[in-house]
Amino acid sequence: MERKNFLKSLFVGAVSAPAVLAACSKDDADTATPATTGGTTGGTTAGSCTVAPTETEGPFPTKVPSSYVRSDIRDDRTGYKLTATITLMNSNASCAALAGALVDIWHCDKDGNYSEYGGSGMQSTNYQSVHFLRGRQTTNASGQVQFTTIFPGWYSGRATHIHVHVYSATGISLKVTQIAFPEGSGTAVAAVGGYSKGMSGYTYNAQDNVFSDGVAQELATVTGNTTDGFQLNISFAVPA
Amino acid sequence: MAERIITLCYRKIIDATSPRPWDKLVFEDTYGELRLQAQVFNTDGRFRTYAELLHQVPGAGQLPFLVSAVVRGYLPQLNGLIPDIVDNLGRHFLKFSRFQFEIINSDLRDRSRHQVAINFYSDALCWHDTIGTLLLVSEAAAVSESGEWLTHLVPVQPYLSVYSIQQPPAP
Repeated sequence: MERKNFLKSLFVGAVSAPAVLAACSKDDADTATPATTGGTTGGTTAGSCTVAPTETEGPFPTKVPSSYVRSDIRDDRTGYKLTATITLMNSNASCAALAGALVDIWHCDKDGNYSEYGGSGMQSTNYQSVHFLRGRQTTNASGQVQFTTIFPGWYSGRATHIHVHVYSATGISLKVTQIAFPEGSGTAVAAVGGYSKGMSGYTYNAQDNVFSDGVAQELATVTGNTTDGFQLNISFAVPA
Repeated sequence: MAERIITLCYRKIIDATSPRPWDKLVFEDTYGELRLQAQVFNTDGRFRTYAELLHQVPGAGQLPFLVSAVVRGYLPQLNGLIPDIVDNLGRHFLKFSRFQFEIINSDLRDRSRHQVAINFYSDALCWHDTIGTLLLVSEAAAVSESGEWLTHLVPVQPYLSVYSIQQPPAP
């Protein structure tokens, strides 16, 4: 009963919050972080009335535009920092920048493991880290999204890659693809050296079953070093 | 009775009839995300229900995991406490950090048939005794210097179950 009444008293705030936040849900990733407030920040006295103290947000919910929307997708994963910038164009509109599109990316950690798929799918997982190295962003007016992540490791049978799924602003699937990495001496792939696994048994693009038909359209530009981190840039068109 | 370490599981069902604001947000966002993610497994739009996708399309079993990404953002709003389950004093007290998201069923064209569950797994509890239908528990991680333990009485109720038990080693 206590909780029911408590919720009832919060009802006005609780239902109006989603409307307000939904209005700015297209803004950018920053809106994805649920607002959290600490403890009491103190009440104040103004004239004859006392302003209520600000309390912790408690059990009433706020709309998360999409919690998947975030630019830093590392969670608890360690590795060389990678800043990935993806630029989208619309092949149905003279290759103009595609704004407002949803871009999902996911890739493996430095040891070659994906979130969840390494273990049994039926196990419970800690909510703080269950979706490591996965995230979504909405393209800006220049058709760009940027993610902060780590340089992917590798696993048997595949070259280094990042998965990408592009949706229209209304959620229609436009393209599922993968980003390939340049390889050979002087490249980031060589500098990272496959992390602790080394490069013995690594699958290069030419042998990769996804990339072996040619990576010209999917090959990113990757610069940087293991001290300062790497920058990845790629642009491609999708039919929107 | 020897004290045992247990964890509890609360299976929270969320569907179109769920009245609370938090539940409604989870309902709406998981339905939207399912429609988004299901496109990969339903390229020609042939299937309509989650059950069909699961039976007909290899890999569709990934959908609960993929959709759970939108649930994740709502979990911190619970401040680390399992919702709905209160102790005999009417207070939330069950701490959790693990969960599992389930899609019970859904229909890509009829949101009223969308039904999901979030399984919350409590942190470890020390089960001291059972009083009627109440479990007397304390937080297993708690430290007591005086030998006094702060406890909670938890009513046994539908959708709340003991998930795991750890017997003390034989002397």
